[in-house]
Amino acid sequence: MAETATLTDSRRFFFLYDSSKVQEEVDLTRDGIYYFSPEDTPIDQQELLCGQLAGVCRCVSELSSSPVRLLHLRKSKYAVRMKDKFLWALSCVVDIPDVSVCDLLDQLIALFCFYNGPVRQSYQLYSKQELALRWARYLCHLQGGSTELHHIFSCLRTIDSTHIDPLLLLKAALILQACQRCPLVLAGCILYRGRVVSTQMPPALTVKVMVYETQTYSQDFQVTANGLSSLVGSPFSSTATTQVFLMPTELHMLRCPPVDRACRSHCNQPPCQPSRSRLLSRTLSDTPTTDTDSSSLDPTHCPPPSYKTVPSSPRSSLSDELCFSPSPSRVNTPIHSNLMNQSEYFTPDSHVHSTSNGTNLCAVEEHLAGLNIKQDIDANSGSETKSNGLNSDQDIQSEEIKAPANGYEQSNCLDNHSDLDSQIKSEENKLDANNHVTNKNGNGETEEEAKTKSKQINRKLKEKNEPTNTPSPHETLEDTSLVPLVLYQHRVKGLVLALLVEPEFITDHSAREEVHHSSLASLNGLEAHLRNTSPGTPGPPGPYTFAHYDCIQNTLTTNVCGRSVGPQDQAFVKATKLVHSHFSRLDTLQEAIVRNASSAVYGTRTTAQETYFLQQGTPVRNSGSPDPQDSAFSLPRKARLRLLKHGVNLL
Amino acid sequence: MKCLLLANESAEVLFYWTDTEFEQRVQEQYGVSQEEGERLPAFEDSINTLFAPIIISCSTMVDRLGDNYTSFSTENNHIYVLHQFEECLYIAVNGDGDETEEDLKRKIFVMKKLTEIMFGMVTFSGALLRKELRPQDTEQRNRLWKKLRSLLETYSRLRENDQSFLVEAVERLIHPTLCEQCIEFLERRLVQQINSNMDRMGEEVLHAFILVHTKLLAFYSSRNASNLYSSDLLALIILVQDLYPSKINLDETSELESSSVPEVFYTPEPSPPERESVRQRGDSPPVFQFVDPDVQMAEDSLQTLEAPTPDPSAPSRVFLESKECPMPHSMYCLPLWPGITLVLLTKVFFYYKTSKAKTICTVSMSYLFIYLFIYLKSTFTSQLQNAWTDFKNKAFSRSGSGFTRDLLPSCRNMKTQLCGVYRQFFAAECMGSSQRLAPHLQERALSMVQEKLMDWKDFLLVKSKRNITMEFPGLIHFIYVDRSNGQMIAPSLNVTDRTVSELGKGPLADFIKKKVWSLVATAQRYLQKGYATVTLRDGDYFYCYFLWFENETGYKLEVIDIPSSPDDGAPVGMLTCDYYRKLLRYYSKKHQNEVVKCYELFTVHLGVIPNEYILQHCSQLARKLWEPTRIPLL
Repeated sequence: MAETATLTDSRRFFFLYDSSKVQEEVDLTRDGIYYFSPEDTPIDQQELLCGQLAGVCRCVSELSSSPVRLLHLRKSKYAVRMKDKFLWALSCVVDIPDVSVCDLLDQLIALFCFYNGPVRQSYQLYSKQELALRWARYLCHLQGGSTELHHIFSCLRTIDSTHIDPLLLLKAALILQACQRCPLVLAGCILYRGRVVSTQMPPALTVKVMVYETQTYSQDFQVTANGLSSLVGSPFSSTATTQVFLMPTELHMLRCPPVDRACRSHCNQPPCQPSRSRLLSRTLSDTPTTDTDSSSLDPTHCPPPSYKTVPSSPRSSLSDELCFSPSPSRVNTPIHSNLMNQSEYFTPDSHVHSTSNGTNLCAVEEHLAGLNIKQDIDANSGSETKSNGLNSDQDIQSEEIKAPANGYEQSNCLDNHSDLDSQIKSEENKLDANNHVTNKNGNGETEEEAKTKSKQINRKLKEKNEPTNTPSPHETLEDTSLVPLVLYQHRVKGLVLALLVEPEFITDHSAREEVHHSSLASLNGLEAHLRNTSPGTPGPPGPYTFAHYDCIQNTLTTNVCGRSVGPQDQAFVKATKLVHSHFSRLDTLQEAIVRNASSAVYGTRTTAQETYFLQQGTPVRNSGSPDPQDSAFSLPRKARLRLLKHGVNLL
Repeated sequence: MKCLLLANESAEVLFYWTDTEFEQRVQEQYGVSQEEGERLPAFEDSINTLFAPIIISCSTMVDRLGDNYTSFSTENNHIYVLHQFEECLYIAVNGDGDETEEDLKRKIFVMKKLTEIMFGMVTFSGALLRKELRPQDTEQRNRLWKKLRSLLETYSRLRENDQSFLVEAVERLIHPTLCEQCIEFLERRLVQQINSNMDRMGEEVLHAFILVHTKLLAFYSSRNASNLYSSDLLALIILVQDLYPSKINLDETSELESSSVPEVFYTPEPSPPERESVRQRGDSPPVFQFVDPDVQMAEDSLQTLEAPTPDPSAPSRVFLESKECPMPHSMYCLPLWPGITLVLLTKVFFYYKTSKAKTICTVSMSYLFIYLFIYLKSTFTSQLQNAWTDFKNKAFSRSGSGFTRDLLPSCRNMKTQLCGVYRQFFAAECMGSSQRLAPHLQERALSMVQEKLMDWKDFLLVKSKRNITMEFPGLIHFIYVDRSNGQMIAPSLNVTDRTVSELGKGPLADFIKKKVWSLVATAQRYLQKGYATVTLRDGDYFYCYFLWFENETGYKLEVIDIPSSPDDGAPVGMLTCDYYRKLLRYYSKKHQNEVVKCYELFTVHLGVIPNEYILQHCSQLARKLWEPTRIPLL
């Protein structure tokens, strides 16, 4: 009895469960568990929790004809998502607002789909173990927020702009704008040591882009902390590309931004961009390469020519990439991106076999062989992220085994290099065999066509797997509505430039070259400046505590520092949780003051922001009866005055 | 779309209530899944089948994880709230957005309170409660369930429309002179006369009170009566409203017209045939089979407690809280005129058994206080004796397990046995007897009070709709509550009434009503987390909530940190587990030398009024309202 009494209250769980795998009496619950965190939870406890929650959620959703969203227990609560026989559940302690934990779960799922595409398909292409590593990474990324307040608002971690020369922020913004002059670049962001310096993307996308970066930064941090020769100091710059999947709405937002770049919104492909728009952005730019790159870019503007100009021989492409590589340590990444680009249009069979959970995919491949349009499914399924994914998985593993981080990246790269040789060779063979496909593809299949085809493929694929997985056709279609795009990352030590680019960017050498070269110098400069800016010891904390949440940019400004939380701060966080969850429930609520014997907290919000304020110091003794002299009621006035110097205007 | 159900650990539904929408939905679901030509299963069976997986999962979670579900919500905003009392699981469902999670939790606790009022401590044992709630006789069960459903619906109606059930405090009619006269009349004339009459048949009136709709006009307790707690008084008002509902939508004139023929309402039947038949059935050999052989009781206690019958002269049996344990009382509801009711509570007289039974109850309330137990053990039934020996061996012998979780089954067993004894002494005994005040005595009481209030009745009915008015520019509404005596004062908010309330009528009044309801819910949520002062600016209005303590002379005591209670704890209020009684006890620990009083004020102001003025208002209001609550009740 109560064998696991401590199980539910102290630990945070996350799991993904597929109820379609457990339908008969003989089916084991464990077969339905795709991922369970913490992974060291004994399997019988995993089964217990998954079995019970999945069963009860199913029962409730049948009664109400609607999926369960939230499940409270006495000692914990679970945000739940149910879709296509899948059930995700994420637990947290009871005093975290409902809205926060639900947001967190949605972010987590969105993050997975961003890097891996539709869930069902991912699990057909990759093994559970492989995807488990990714879930772990995303979970770590989202839960690793610095303070409890960050969790409550599930906001982006930004650099502390109060200690940074505003010109640097401007410079960062200009770098991003300069990159956008390449029409294949949709939007970008600049991160420094896991924090946002500047971003052009909506917050939900920025969070997704940050995953790998946060990971890397935490490695850097470990290294320096251990006193080993740090990577931070060594020359270190690289680029990488990863395939990512966007929801149509997100993509629409990027392709049709509300201001300035209206011209792009007229066509989904960016082929015929008038140079005038680039002149617009040039006015903000200080990069003197505009003229040359505009001429070099022009031919690549329209996809059909760009497809034609792509070297169809992988060898030449490879050598080109190698030439571009600024340092040997980066050799792997261009190759990877190159492989990736190929795998997107050709089928990297060897690659897939080496990493995926074989049989399933083999079956798919065989099936597809007859259809002769393999490239489409690959483009959609994200198998090419394999090359990158493989690398990053290794990152995680080596981190887990606590390998000496000294020169870690370097050695990792070398290892990969030798691996890559063989991989490349097999790729070449493969590619030769598939050349005709390339040419056919090169003749300009529109994206629409590609999409419909991939849907067909998917349907085929589902049919093939019908006996085991039976998601209904319309659900599958819904999944495939994710649009593949490419994430380009350029790292300069602690600084990362991340750009969301059209898939053609990979094959478009001149575009890549342009983006790389136009930003390299600026990035180096920015990195040096940021590195030399002292992190800034937080000034003496004022006689007040505040938190200012920007709902539009999803950022938080606060003077509650880190983990050393005093009693006043605790009182502040507790009240903030309550009032924030009240704000989220009641749209018309503008202002609240809540007071207990030891503290009074003022919260106010508009559509764009939420601000919380606590005046420190022992409160004047009072009875709590209505009293105009009560100091709690002067909080709004004090907050207006005090917060002005933090750039928060409550007037 | 609403539902509330009670189930025991073996997933058997002990009671359920649904609205028609929920019923239709369930039947549709079954209609679809049924084969052609097959008959729809009985609704009760459908309910059983639908909820069984949830109920079973609950016990699995408790057994294996030591945790339990408290609520689910779905994407279309259906809410399920679950709460386990002893061995019974309560589930409340809402799918129409009318109720929040907190409302459902409160409903569950109210349901629990109502079963306690009806069955006393029998509710502590799952097996015994099952027997009460699911009598074998279908007709009897239907009657009981109908009664419970009707009580639940009455509560929901009051909760939705009546401010005193919103804040869970009794509202008094503010008329000091009349109030005092009535109290005197109840004491000197009514209670004295009844208690000295030979025909009272062993009944003794302990409490008498007059209700105008849900508002209290006068309340009298006899000297040797124990305190009647606010939670019980509120529950009794639900019972009265269930018997004689105030027709909220009826307009004033028709109500007054009908009141001109008061005598017709009361036609006592000396010996209702239905009642007799039940008794006879009780005398026949028991047909029940206990689920658990350990729960075997003396045969005479197997007679099922009887649901109140529609016989007007028969009192309702109610179990009211006392220091020891819930004690049975008889409640006589005598309708004076529509909307005005006289209520008499009498002690049920137990001849020789009373003192023994009382002691047993003391023990059963705290059955681990073993010393009393040893002292009393000679009076116990042999099953209880065995249970006790078993417990003693496990807990205190060297070879036993000591005070660990393993002791729980023994404790449970003992508790069941004690509940059985309680039932045997109080419940079954009382229910079986036809003991009551002689009908002519009831009639006499009724006409005495009618005579006394004849000239006042119209005034009272109007007064109950416009109890208090306050002139503060910008003030829209307020509720003032004295938590120490469980009473509240507020201007009327009768939005459905044809008479114009302080707020007028129509959509604005309805809007304000919704805002007031949500203000109280919000304030209670913050209070539960330890915040005793809350101000909110919401749309065009400004809301304030204050809770503070005073001593008897009105001196305001220093504020303290109120402990925050867990989310799954009892709701803040007085009708169910009395939150404020506990709060006062907590505060009194620091002020042991004085009487501590607790007050609350809720206000709604126009948002354009500057904050300073609003706070000034609130403070003046609190001072002014302090006076009326001084009117003595006794």
